[in-house]
Amino acid sequence: MKPAPFGHVRASTLDQAVETLVAEDGDAKVLAGGQSLVPLLAMRLAQPTTLVDLGGLRELDYIRDEGDHVEIGAMTRSRAVETSPLVATALPLLPAALRHVGHVTIRNRGTLGGSVAHADPAAEAPSVLRALDAEIIATGPGGRRTIAAADFFQGFLFSALEPDEILTAIRIPRQPAGTVVAVEEFARRHGDFALVAVLGAARLDPSGEIAEVRLSVAGAANTPLRADAAERLLTGQAPTPDVIAAAATAVAEATDPAADIHAPAEYRRHLAAVLTRRCLHRLFAHAERSAAA
Amino acid sequence: MTQHQVPPGLIGARVRRKEDPRLLTGRAQFVDDVVLPGMLEAAVLRSPHPHARILGIDVRAALELPGVFAVLTGEDVRAACATPQPVVWRMIPDQRMTDQYALAVDKVRYVGQAVAVVAAVDRYVAEDALGLIDVEYEVLEPVVTLDDALAEGAPLLYDNWPDNVSCRQTIPKGDAAAAFAEADVVVTETLTYGRQMGTPLETRGAVMSWDPFTDQLEGWMSTQSPNLTRDLLGEVLGLPVDHIRVRTPHVGGGFGNKFDFYGEEVLAALLSKRTGRPVKVIEDRLESFVANAHSREQRIEVSVAAKSDGTIIGMRGTVWAVLGGQLATVGIGPCWLSMALMAGPYDIPHVEATVVGVVTNRSPYGSYRGWGQPKANFAHERIIDKLAHELGMPANEVRRRNLIAPEKFPYPSQVFFYDSGNYAECLDMAEQAVADRGWAKRRDAAAEEGRSLGIGYSFHIEISALGPSKIMNQAGLQHSSFDEEVVRIDSAGGVTVRTGLSAMGQGIETALAQVAAQTLGVPLDTVKVLHGDTETNPFTGYGTGASRGAALGGGALLRASSRLRDKVLRIAAHMLEADAEDLEITDGVVAVKGAPGGPSVTMRQIGDAAYRRLDGKLPDGEDPTLEERDVLDPDNVAFSYGTTAVLAEVDRETGRVELLDYLLVHDCGTVINPMIVDGQIHGGATQGIGGALFEEIVYSPEGQPLTTTFMDYLIPTASEIPTFETLHMTTTADHIPGGFKGMGEAGTIGAASAITAAVEDALPELDLRLTRLPVTPPRLLDALTTATPKDPS
Ligand SMILES: Cc1cc2nc3c(=O)[nH]c(=O)nc-3n(C[C@H](O)[C@H](O)[C@H](O)COP(=O)(O)OP(=O)(O)OC[C@H]3O[C@@H](n4cnc5c(N)ncnc54)[C@H](O)[C@@H]3O)c2cc1C
Repeated sequence: MKPAPFGHVRASTLDQAVETLVAEDGDAKVLAGGQSLVPLLAMRLAQPTTLVDLGGLRELDYIRDEGDHVEIGAMTRSRAVETSPLVATALPLLPAALRHVGHVTIRNRGTLGGSVAHADPAAEAPSVLRALDAEIIATGPGGRRTIAAADFFQGFLFSALEPDEILTAIRIPRQPAGTVVAVEEFARRHGDFALVAVLGAARLDPSGEIAEVRLSVAGAANTPLRADAAERLLTGQAPTPDVIAAAATAVAEATDPAADIHAPAEYRRHLAAVLTRRCLHRLFAHAERSAAA
Repeated sequence: MTQHQVPPGLIGARVRRKEDPRLLTGRAQFVDDVVLPGMLEAAVLRSPHPHARILGIDVRAALELPGVFAVLTGEDVRAACATPQPVVWRMIPDQRMTDQYALAVDKVRYVGQAVAVVAAVDRYVAEDALGLIDVEYEVLEPVVTLDDALAEGAPLLYDNWPDNVSCRQTIPKGDAAAAFAEADVVVTETLTYGRQMGTPLETRGAVMSWDPFTDQLEGWMSTQSPNLTRDLLGEVLGLPVDHIRVRTPHVGGGFGNKFDFYGEEVLAALLSKRTGRPVKVIEDRLESFVANAHSREQRIEVSVAAKSDGTIIGMRGTVWAVLGGQLATVGIGPCWLSMALMAGPYDIPHVEATVVGVVTNRSPYGSYRGWGQPKANFAHERIIDKLAHELGMPANEVRRRNLIAPEKFPYPSQVFFYDSGNYAECLDMAEQAVADRGWAKRRDAAAEEGRSLGIGYSFHIEISALGPSKIMNQAGLQHSSFDEEVVRIDSAGGVTVRTGLSAMGQGIETALAQVAAQTLGVPLDTVKVLHGDTETNPFTGYGTGASRGAALGGGALLRASSRLRDKVLRIAAHMLEADAEDLEITDGVVAVKGAPGGPSVTMRQIGDAAYRRLDGKLPDGEDPTLEERDVLDPDNVAFSYGTTAVLAEVDRETGRVELLDYLLVHDCGTVINPMIVDGQIHGGATQGIGGALFEEIVYSPEGQPLTTTFMDYLIPTASEIPTFETLHMTTTADHIPGGFKGMGEAGTIGAASAITAAVEDALPELDLRLTRLPVTPPRLLDALTTATPKDPS
């Protein structure tokens, strides 16, 4: 479990980082918090020629209020995002989800950008980005471009980032006041990757009908899933058990899970339905409470 | 009930462990901390195929890599070794042996089998060199599962065997056929215990240094059995044992895996001989999952014949042992023990049990805490539950009807004499504790809210204090199983104990110090315990396993310390002009009994009298120095036992089991330190919980291991385990000085049985019998959705 030889460039500017990626022509890898990459190196599953270490780029470590958006620099540690007061009020789904990522020590090191770039379909942060229609900002030799979350996640550990691009920031629309959130995750042990997680954010209108609902699912396909069909079923309805059950079925139908040693595909699909129902029940119980208050 | 063989004092006290400050502050020394001048590091090339013939190995490119010092292949190892890797447990005389070397010679028989080894300047270069070794394989059809191995026309692992069966043995007691013929009820079950392993945080490792001028081999090893290792190294390498020194720094968890003797230590020794430099080999975690002994996996067929009142009159069982591609050090040992202990704590007159050892293309099957006992327990407890269900009786009623009565000890089982016990009392105590904790009320209240809680019990026995050497030899052990301890008081009155046992986190330093301190009458902190060096420490037969360290080491030390105390008293009597009979030692001071403030001498003065200023103080005829040794080769093993009770909750929608409360009532004879015993039980129970709910080594249908990291092989962590409650009772082992019994494995044994019973109890309306471990959420969900409702009658 010792990595193969590699070069290490601790970039002092973003330009230098991009230039190194270009020079290595696809054989270099970006190093952020290292919580996913270092194990891959140790097992020699990844054998890059060079690591481009973003650890020195302070300019990528920020959480910024941009009015209708919050922008988070790629090198912001997961734990910093999770504990940010701004994120708590503007994007309550994000900390609720990040609490399920590994353990605190891992979130102290792991970065939001790294988690998104890694594109693990069972990871929480990518699912939050899908639910909230976030945008990903990538910087490459040709400059900056913006990628919608819906287009970013393309497959298992596979994203729209080019090998010479660096994910530099994430922009997430601020959620309207009165948004309540719930995350239902099933992992074999505390801190494990989810077998399936269902993430939800919603608002009820004064009549008790669902004004807006956003739902996404981790671990149920080769990318994070947005449960659009279920959202459509729910919007404008009163959250009755029947409506919720129908939404849960719709979510399960939208999944395309893989089997692995921890669970067969069928089990994951079943979990998606169970967790959706639990998530929606919690969500609307919160919503009714906050509407009553 | 509590018996006393020794007066309560330090023996029986909940004192803090001497080793903990060092361990908890990260200051303990482990084998990887050993760094020698000029030392090289080795890495092992392992087979990617479950079953293949080796056609050729080209190591030239690896040898040319700068920093590489040597590369060995199977042929080199065979030429350099006097014998194949040894198998020390040979219970079945006509067993087919696999006779493998530390590196594969002709064939590989499991993914991970060692094929070549490199010594280089560091581990990085060594691993780089592995990528340059070119092995040509002819891939053969793998035999992945037990059924594959037993199938008609199955590929053979060993071309000169008629099939894949290494051994078969049946041990009868009484007449099982007659018992089954006259039974009112017969119940039968087939159980599948998953493949699991102990996963010490410190993986295995060795630093070996072969002096080219003297042929002295110095080894630092993470092993539980330093003396056995030394003898086996001598056999394999053809070296006299006085040329071999085995040192064991702190062992970072043993769990039985490190009882076994592996090929890597032989490889490091041969590489050191080849290069003239010390060589370190440390197993990494990926390797550990394929190169460390696997364990537990068995299929067990078990049936009992009973009277309609629940009295069991006969038992039959077959243990199908899913061995790996070669025999490990302990051979069929653990699986044989599952067979030999299948009747457990029950007084069953007629028993017929069989063990069949079957080789497959999986990693070798070796020791893991509990040895065969968790499986034997699963067999007898599951079948008791099923019988109870069949008869419509509470399971504990069936247990009570069949537990061996106290007056029947020593009780002859199929193979062993159980020495002592108050089994029914232990079960009563557990039921009472469960009632006191209000579990039934919690279960019923939860049911009102639509939640599913259940209560499960199991009763376990644990063989410990292994054992009488000659009887073990007759049973097939190629080694002894006594224990030798040495205790010395120095010239300033300090006490040093020397032991051949390994310190692997179990607290042996503290336990031995308590025995010596109480017996000698000195403060605990004046006793130092030295371990970990075969050159200077006494001989422990077998090793630090089989729950024998505290019982036999403690017993031997108790006797040695008693004799040493007698000598101290004789010297003190001379100095005080008193009668030795009238003296006592308290806190390191010798004085006349019942006369506080009277004349006294300190241990320091006694030490001075025995080593330095003897004249006028050391009685004539008394030898200078203060040292005693003792060897304990007990007349019998000792059986500890306990009742486990579990309160579990089942999530019917996901199949997840959560343990809400966990209780163990336990008897291991005289308890030396209840805190250590509790800790051992908690740790063992945690591994038992892992085996019941989480841990499984999984192979693909092609024979590839799929669980080679801790993200795949799920050990329970602090978040998954409940709080444990431990209650003690004491029935002494009267054939062991002090009355100690061992208990290091206890917690692992009854866990799965109690947990599965609790899960079934949580689903009372379903006719659900859990027969396969671990009970993972997908498996339980599947079982509970397909189970039929119970017959309402
Ligand atoms: C024990 C453990 C448990 C875990 N549990 C969870 C969990 O439950 N849920 C979860 O979501 N995650 C979990 N993780 C993963 C953890 O969250 C990772 O840290 C995170 O996914 C990756 O972030 P990182 O900063 O460590 O990235 P790194 O490991 O440094 O990089 C990961 C990948 O992304 C690339 N990359 C990183 N940053 C950029 C960038 N700015 N631009 C372009 N490419 C980039 C790297 O090249 C690499 O391929 C766990 C990790 C561990 C060790």
